[in-house]
Amino acid sequence: MEKRTIKGRGALEGRASGPAIVFPDSIAGNSGALGDIDGVVYEKGNVNYGISIKDAILVVPCAKGSNGFSAHFKGALIAGVKPAGWISTKIDARLGVAIASMNIPAVVDFSDVDPIKVISTGDWVEINGTTGEVVITKKD
Amino acid sequence: MLKLTEHEKAMLDGKTGKFKQKAMEFNVRYAEVLGAEEFCEVSRATLFIGAQHYLDCYKHSEEYKKIFSEFYLCSDEDIELGEMAPECKVQTCAASCDMWNCDKTHLSNEFSDKNKAYTEAARKMGVKIVESCTPYYVGWIPLMGEHFLSTESSNVVISNSFFGAYGNSDGVEAAVCAAITGRTPKWGMHIKENRYADCLVRVKCDVESVAEWDVLGYTIGRQLPKNVVPVVIGEFKRPEINRMRQFASSISVSSATELCHIVGITPEAQTFAMATGGKPCRHEIEVTESDIAESLSKICDAGSGPVDYISVGCPHLALDELKEISEYIKGRKIKEGTELLVWTDYATKAMADVNGYTKDIENSGAFVLTGSCPIVMREESHKHATGMVMNGVKQAVGIRHQTKVPIYFGDIRLCIDAAVRGKWKEVE
Repeated sequence: MEKRTIKGRGALEGRASGPAIVFPDSIAGNSGALGDIDGVVYEKGNVNYGISIKDAILVVPCAKGSNGFSAHFKGALIAGVKPAGWISTKIDARLGVAIASMNIPAVVDFSDVDPIKVISTGDWVEINGTTGEVVITKKD
Repeated sequence: MLKLTEHEKAMLDGKTGKFKQKAMEFNVRYAEVLGAEEFCEVSRATLFIGAQHYLDCYKHSEEYKKIFSEFYLCSDEDIELGEMAPECKVQTCAASCDMWNCDKTHLSNEFSDKNKAYTEAARKMGVKIVESCTPYYVGWIPLMGEHFLSTESSNVVISNSFFGAYGNSDGVEAAVCAAITGRTPKWGMHIKENRYADCLVRVKCDVESVAEWDVLGYTIGRQLPKNVVPVVIGEFKRPEINRMRQFASSISVSSATELCHIVGITPEAQTFAMATGGKPCRHEIEVTESDIAESLSKICDAGSGPVDYISVGCPHLALDELKEISEYIKGRKIKEGTELLVWTDYATKAMADVNGYTKDIENSGAFVLTGSCPIVMREESHKHATGMVMNGVKQAVGIRHQTKVPIYFGDIRLCIDAAVRGKWKEVE
């Protein structure tokens, strides 16, 4: 299977792997957009509506919407449905709080490649939050 | 590499107690995630705390000390709750229910009591109970260059864009830890160099009313490239604070904008060159009437239909708007079986009481409520509704994540008309 390695900035150390869920327009931080207890995406119009974030590597361009963004992901963590890690094209404050609060590996700030464009939902992704390396194994 | 002052090191080392130590540990991790090099002093904060629904992951009987330690301080160990930093003016943001009227919003006394208990615990820590998402109406105004945190996204845009203060759209854990320590990472909007505009927005549509500014904010937000600072120019009449409140709230729904320059209004953008720092913009977009029409199709369901749940006041209304509502609704009655909720903060409601506005509004059968809103109260408060009208793009878009019934959007007068008729009539 085709493999590719891309590199960003390691934002929170540690290794994580899992199937990627790509959110080209991010996930809204507004109340009800992410299930606080079941970790399911309920944002109307989101391409991943109805999918659970549990054990996945979430791939986003940035955060979006309410400043409650981090709190809904933290609720999901405490409820036992946390994602395995984060990849973001660029870090921002909403996402930074979510990463720091969940304390899970994250790679951000890609300068020569946009992870949104080279990772597809369902690809197997390994991230190294210490070195910033991301290894993508395409699903086909 | 993150640099700490002696005071920050002392907090991190536990010399000022475990409460501040845990908050500082979070601050350091947050700073490292962002890539910040130092902290800045925070003098104002608003906190989205109390029995908020993001805490539904805990059992009803769970001790607040455990919840506060784990959720906000990110600590596995239960920490004795201490005090907020004395130099930081801290108050509550929107609440999970009206403090006195949970029965009018279909919430239980048990839930209200839990919220009161959590809020009282925060008050003992030095958090003032204000319960407003528009805190500038009652005195929370960071001045130009002042570093703040707010858990209300529209308040971040207002404070950055129209007061010239410095703040990021962080999140509740960061706001709580900043309020406890008086420190937040000096990063993003806290640094002047990052505040210059790099995306020109040409407004080519008519915009004048509060509702039009609301739809404009949403439309700009959905067209903006990611990770930019916009600067808006156009042939529009100089807007005032209520219009900017709606604009700030709706641009925050459809984008991650933290600062939006409007030339001539924004303190840092009295001229276009001031907004951009004299550099050319990397991006440019136009907003036309067809873009506005497309937005309206996403915000407001098509056609006419019966409605029984109408909410006005997202974000929380100003006193002058309560006056306007009282004058428009005086002598009219809302249709039986229909609810009209009018939201403000309790300090503003007290002024509305004194001025007779509350009496005139409530004589119609509507309720003037404080501190919360349907989105924050969540499904339990509105699951009985069969058709809704929302004043506020943020509410009209956000409530769609929580319900499948028809949602209509209109200005305050259209909302009142719909409540009186029990029906939404499509606007021509």
